[in-house]
Amino acid sequence: MSVAIVGSGLAGFTVFQALRRGGLDPEEIALFGPQVDPAGAFRRRAGAIRQREMRSESDGHCLPTTFPGLAVRTALRRRSPAPLLASALDRYHPTVEEFLSHVERVRERCGWERSLRCSRIERVRAVDGGFELDGHGVFRHVLLAPGQPGLNVPEELRTDPRTVHAYEPHAYAPRVCVVGAGLTAATEWLNALEAGAEVVSVRRREPLRQALNVPRHYFSRRGLSAFHRLGGAERAARLRTLLAPSFPRGAAWDTPLARASAEGRFRVEAVLNESDQVICATGFLRGFHHDPLLARLVEEHGLETADGWIVLASDTSVPALTDATRTLALAGAPAQWAFPPADTLAGARYAAHAFLRRIRACPTH
Amino acid sequence: MSYTLRGRVESRLAALAPLVAVACALTALLHRWWPVEAAGLMVGLGIALDAQAYHGLLSYQPAWTAIPLGAIEFAVLLFLMRSLGISAPLWQPLALFAGGWLVAQLLGQAGFPLLRPGYAEEGGELGSLAAVSALVIGLALAGAGATAYALRPPVVHLAAGVYNGPLVITRREVLIGSPGAVVRGGIVVRANDVTVENIAVVGGENGITVDGVHGTVLDGVSVSGAKLDGIHVVFAGVVIKNCTVDMHGNPLGEGINISYNMGMGMSMIEGCTVVGGMQGITTHSSMTYIDRDRVSGSDEQGIAVTEMSMGTVMNSEVTGALGIGIYCNDRSTCMIDHNTVVGTRSDRASGNPTRAGFGVLASFQSLAELRGNQIASNPVPMGAVINSEIAATH
Repeated sequence: MSVAIVGSGLAGFTVFQALRRGGLDPEEIALFGPQVDPAGAFRRRAGAIRQREMRSESDGHCLPTTFPGLAVRTALRRRSPAPLLASALDRYHPTVEEFLSHVERVRERCGWERSLRCSRIERVRAVDGGFELDGHGVFRHVLLAPGQPGLNVPEELRTDPRTVHAYEPHAYAPRVCVVGAGLTAATEWLNALEAGAEVVSVRRREPLRQALNVPRHYFSRRGLSAFHRLGGAERAARLRTLLAPSFPRGAAWDTPLARASAEGRFRVEAVLNESDQVICATGFLRGFHHDPLLARLVEEHGLETADGWIVLASDTSVPALTDATRTLALAGAPAQWAFPPADTLAGARYAAHAFLRRIRACPTH
Repeated sequence: MSYTLRGRVESRLAALAPLVAVACALTALLHRWWPVEAAGLMVGLGIALDAQAYHGLLSYQPAWTAIPLGAIEFAVLLFLMRSLGISAPLWQPLALFAGGWLVAQLLGQAGFPLLRPGYAEEGGELGSLAAVSALVIGLALAGAGATAYALRPPVVHLAAGVYNGPLVITRREVLIGSPGAVVRGGIVVRANDVTVENIAVVGGENGITVDGVHGTVLDGVSVSGAKLDGIHVVFAGVVIKNCTVDMHGNPLGEGINISYNMGMGMSMIEGCTVVGGMQGITTHSSMTYIDRDRVSGSDEQGIAVTEMSMGTVMNSEVTGALGIGIYCNDRSTCMIDHNTVVGTRSDRASGNPTRAGFGVLASFQSLAELRGNQIASNPVPMGAVINSEIAATH
């Protein structure tokens, strides 16, 4: 066995699908991760914020090709062209329930369990002919999809007893302060209002309004070519800009907020007030140093880093540890250095395709 | 999808390859060059728009834009075909374009992503598949061009002067008249794929007779003084364009008469001027496309589509006909679209109520569909008799 995926979340799952479509049997892929359900973490977070629809569109699925996307599948299941029309207009957003069912269906038939070794990898070490994974053997091609390193709670709120992170299970107090300005924050505004709470939005900047988490042309070579030509400092600065909090335009967001504002139940403030509850919709910790596996990898191999990212080649591989005979690549949020929307399913697919190309090109595979 | 420029061009070429193949097959099947000419124009036009317009204007292209962009491309294609003198009834290039568009959408949305999993993230670039497509298209178009060159008919130039006829053409050729070239006594076409251009015909039984052949093009001819019909086409497929037919003094002849061409495909009459005669333009048991013609002073009907014909009459002017302006008769089906019919005169002397000066008349189990016509100053604007129907659409 020469191929390993470290991480059994949605990114690892998507990479696994691409490898399977590329002709690898489950027995040829070693998959390391703590959970059998690839959507487990997502399910918990989506449940915590009562998310009903995916921000992603028809392409937001775990399969290796963009077609047939979820719109086609839903149209066939419902025997209705409506999802296809909505998809053509970029207005199709699968429900979380549809997405989770899709993951479950794919998991049942792809041989996921045959590859999975329920084990958390804590160390990856480059050796002759590949990478040694925590005593599980040497693998020539390894993709790390470690997931998010943890929830980000602003330091000044960590000891505040009113504080809860949006991705932790919670109910809503009568007066709620939501910190953040992204999709999660916007979702929590509406949730709390719907629960009858009075909501204060605390944010450092006005949220961007855009359909996806980064502009669409960064999902293809059109935007990526220029991005990849940027030097280290420029690229880090660009990433900070691109990854600024945002949520989609539309009446579904604006109407309830406008109505609540008119009723005096929603307002924006610069600092925390005397609310009963503080919900941190502040996303995840950023930077490889928050992930023990990646931090150790960087330290032991002296990898180049920039502003919290491991410097990657455009195909998400680690240049210092990758050559014609072996590959170490990243997927998920740590791969944003190569692909700004890497923390999306499309991003996982990008990393997966590049990883598969490297495996195929390897003369000793 | 966010295409790179290369991705746009490669996707375009790969998507058009099936259309080019179909166009080549159609050309071979129909013995007409317009399919391959239209396909070549689509390739050139598409690449030009990709490079000069779409790439700059559309950093991201949602799927729905394929519909308006397709409509624009089809309009430009038609304009180019007209400008370059590529003749075909509207529905034929429309069908070819629509088929090609549909295949392109299926390939772009489904086929290419399945063939090449990284299609979207690579901005539509297709690598070797695009190279193969470009090669196929290049070879097909070059092959068609070489074939056309090898098969081109001999060109005969008729110098200025008067030639005594009848002039009988018995081989494929292009006969081009210089200004002042006149044939007295008529022209008879007896071979396939004959083109007659810019010749004045005076006299003759018929001015020009086309009988039992296909691929005839009459372009820029003028006919006068014929004893029977100005242009008489029977059992033949023709394209007649930019002609002038003068039937003054011939109350029993027909300006342009196309008969019994059902098995020869659609014939076209476009941009012609016909004055006088019993009927300006008439078709019998034929499929004919009559577009942008001007007919005046006919003694029975301006334009008649009759005897189980299927005809489209559009963008034409019929003025001063005696009895009936446009006539859809005898189990015919007629599309009458955006024409002007004015000044039709009542033929009281005939005593026939169906000749009371109808702008448009459908008669004897015929169906006429009217859209956007201007019918004015006629004693009776329109009517349907003997189990016929006029359907007006907007």
